[in-house]
Amino acid sequence: MNKLTSKQRKLAYVIAIIVLLIPVIWLGMPSTGEEGSGGELAQLRVKHELGESTLGDVDPSSASMNFVLLGLRGIATNLLWMDANDYQKRKEWAKLRSTVDSIILLQPHYMKVWDFQGWNLAYNVSAEWDAVEDRYFWVKEGIKFLNEGVQRNERFPELDWKVANLHGQKVGRSDEWRLFRKFYKVDPDTERYEDGPDPEINPERLDNYQVAKEHFLLANEKELKHKQHLQMRMLFRASPWHAQFDYANAMQREGTFGKQRTDAWAQGFKDWTTIFGREEFITPKGPIVLEWTEDDIKDLANRDENISEADVRHWTNRYQDTSNYRFWRTRALSESETETIDAHKAIYDGEQLFRSGKFDEANVQLEKGMQLYAKVLNKYPSLLSEDLAIEEGLQAIILWRYIHDLKGLPIPDSYPLKPLWNKEQGRVPQLENDLRRRYGIQ
Amino acid sequence: MSFDPIPYDLLGAFKYFLVVFGSAMLIAVVVCLIVGTLTRGAKGFTGVFRGIFDFFVQITHVSCRRIWSLTVLTIREALRQKILFVFIIFAVLFMFAGWFLSGAADRPDLQVQSYIDFVLKAISWLVIPIMLLLACWSLPEDIKKRTIHTVVTKPAYRIEIVMGRMLGFTLLGSAILVVMGTIGYIWINRQVPETAQYKLVSKVPVYGEIVFTDREGALTKTGLNVGDIWDFRSYIEGATKARAIYKFTGIDESDAIDDKLVLESSFEAFRTHKGNMEKGGILYQFIFVNEDKNLRVPSRPLINKEYSDNVLEVKRKLKYDNPEGKGEGDAGTEIDIFDDVVDKDGNLTVEVQCLEAGQLLGMARPDLFVRTPDRAFLAGYSKAVFGIWLPMVLVIMLGVTISCFVKGPVAILTTLTIVLVGFMSKEYMTEILSGQMQASGAIEAWYRLITHMNSQTALPDGPVKFIIEIVDAGIINFLWLCQQVIPNFGIFSNMREYVIKGFDVSWNAALLPGIITTAAYILPCLIVSFYSLKLRELEAK
Repeated sequence: MNKLTSKQRKLAYVIAIIVLLIPVIWLGMPSTGEEGSGGELAQLRVKHELGESTLGDVDPSSASMNFVLLGLRGIATNLLWMDANDYQKRKEWAKLRSTVDSIILLQPHYMKVWDFQGWNLAYNVSAEWDAVEDRYFWVKEGIKFLNEGVQRNERFPELDWKVANLHGQKVGRSDEWRLFRKFYKVDPDTERYEDGPDPEINPERLDNYQVAKEHFLLANEKELKHKQHLQMRMLFRASPWHAQFDYANAMQREGTFGKQRTDAWAQGFKDWTTIFGREEFITPKGPIVLEWTEDDIKDLANRDENISEADVRHWTNRYQDTSNYRFWRTRALSESETETIDAHKAIYDGEQLFRSGKFDEANVQLEKGMQLYAKVLNKYPSLLSEDLAIEEGLQAIILWRYIHDLKGLPIPDSYPLKPLWNKEQGRVPQLENDLRRRYGIQ
Repeated sequence: MSFDPIPYDLLGAFKYFLVVFGSAMLIAVVVCLIVGTLTRGAKGFTGVFRGIFDFFVQITHVSCRRIWSLTVLTIREALRQKILFVFIIFAVLFMFAGWFLSGAADRPDLQVQSYIDFVLKAISWLVIPIMLLLACWSLPEDIKKRTIHTVVTKPAYRIEIVMGRMLGFTLLGSAILVVMGTIGYIWINRQVPETAQYKLVSKVPVYGEIVFTDREGALTKTGLNVGDIWDFRSYIEGATKARAIYKFTGIDESDAIDDKLVLESSFEAFRTHKGNMEKGGILYQFIFVNEDKNLRVPSRPLINKEYSDNVLEVKRKLKYDNPEGKGEGDAGTEIDIFDDVVDKDGNLTVEVQCLEAGQLLGMARPDLFVRTPDRAFLAGYSKAVFGIWLPMVLVIMLGVTISCFVKGPVAILTTLTIVLVGFMSKEYMTEILSGQMQASGAIEAWYRLITHMNSQTALPDGPVKFIIEIVDAGIINFLWLCQQVIPNFGIFSNMREYVIKGFDVSWNAALLPGIITTAAYILPCLIVSFYSLKLRELEAK
């Protein structure tokens, strides 16, 4: 038995408590908010930016849920994730959405969760619905979900990039892009949004690619502070300027050939050559710029004695190839010219006339477009390195040939864009299939 | 609606109960007789029968007055233990529910489902664990503190003590449930926006039987499989002779709403090509068929809006335009849907056909039903709350029973395990035992894991295989036993699903199985608790 008296025991307890309190206070004292304040753990948290508030907006419900679950949040998340999969399999969309929200409450700073579930809502769930309005609703849900992720995580430029990509590619490049782009400006829920867009998605009533550009720019800004792990840095940083090109191109696809479209291409050229083109990127042989002058080459080579001018030229060339820099430069430049605009317009008009069954008029427009387009390609041969440019020409030829077949006319020996037709025969079957589906050609 | 309300086989269930209960009782009596005879000879043998007789004496002589006194005592004790503090958690949950439920806010139809789901889940997750703790803790605590002596020394039967506890907790739980249910009901009504209030109904569906025909028009049991991982629905091909044929029985005028026959469908589309996407869905058509009169009445083409309720209201009197040129009716003749289309036995046959070539329409039995006059949302909601009350009673019975033979913490763990297994693993066990799931035994799995042997390779012959098979067989038998004894709590959560999806809770497919499941445990629980309490040394701490 213990020989200590009750008093002595109590004293021993008090001493033990005090002794134990010293390391506890030293380690765990909370920070007052000022730099250097608080215990060792608090200081480390500040140093490595691990505090909840330094990661992004704090959601009290999320914080309290994680606190209540103690160390079991991993298990709880896994269970919820399995539930979410099950709901998706059984097409219980409301439950899926609320389960995904619960997962996020538990894992608010796990980038992949935001990334995967945002994509899942915008792509997989959206595709499960039959009506385009419903599909658009789920694309919006994906965007809203990722937007929340962005607010809660300030250190992931990837999330901003993903948001931008949904605004741009998902809305602008899906099978349903025509309606999606329309809904982007006038939401199908006209009663709720009063014939305007969903303000959470498009508050300023812009084009989807303009909004995408804004988000890409935010991603670029964050990328200067926090490294991204999505793709090659140069390609990541090229995204806003590609969104500008997409914006201009989308107007063209929809048959808008006015000043707005020309200005958009001009703006794209300016951004591409003066902002993106002048940005320095680090290569294995030092920094390079994509829009260079002889002085730049010399200057960059002079920064390090181990790097020669030939090295700088070599790596500049490689990076230009990787980013397709020269093509986009030429494209943007050419798109501001009247001849190019006329070529696009003639081909577009020809397609529309074909669609409405006016084959004679379509034939005239397509021929005109092909002639003009051949001139553009002769003037800017580097355009022939890009799929979109090649396919536009080939599509015009396919429709033009189809009209000839329909009327029993022989295909002339010589016609504009014939070299392109001969050179790109490999692409023709696929394009023919696409056009058959698009125009209902049997 | 994505669940299939299959009518409950009452007779089958009763037979099953008799077999399980009867064999369990028989085994118990035989074991007792053997043990009794071995330990106390002939005295032991007769003692067993005396014990059995004792139960019948007590059960037939229970006094309602004494049970009521014990019930009141139980309620008082529970109130002293601050049971009503549960309302604080309840209030907090409801105050902050908005944080967790803002997900599908833009779609009021989906949001309504989340609200109802939340309310019913919150109530059951609060009430059931609390009642479990109370039921498991109460008796052992009384025995420990010896306060049970104040009861057992009174002229009260042991069975009355058990019944008093069960009734007391049930009444208390019921009162809590009523209050929470009422608050939940008001909360849902206030939370659901005006535009979605129409969703708060209890639809009363009449389901039919479904068969299919293939693209050549030959009868088949199922339609096409489009490769969906969830094979709930099967598909019919558009612009062919493929049909889904629904047959509804017992249809008459009382099923009409405002003198109209209302059909509600929720089919799923599968497109093999994009088609015209601006229409909002794939075109389909119903054909009402009366073979007796050789009558085929097609509806107008309808657009299938996926995951929504597609409602077709057919006026009772309609013009028959005789498009297929056969049957009794002539073009322009007026026909009565209940007199002419529904056959003399009250059967309504509806064929569904997809009208678009290259597109498919998927359906299952519950995807098309005749909607009869709706009941108020309150009707379905109260049945769903009743669906929480039933498992609560079951948990109380199990808790009190188990606490009769083990101490409080052990009783809690045991009851909790039974409840969790009953809620989560019942289907899993059924899949293993029925051979639906290709699963090896536990020891075999463990052996394969540590020897890195894949499941396709046969176990090598020898003593190891023999031992593994013996032990695994024992484990599987134990699993079988658990499956027979552990209640299927999943039955109760089905009721919630009905209300969430806007249906009245089906008597046949949900309420009845729930009531029967709960009722089936009353007698076994009373027997087990009676003997446990009778044999227990109540003076022991």
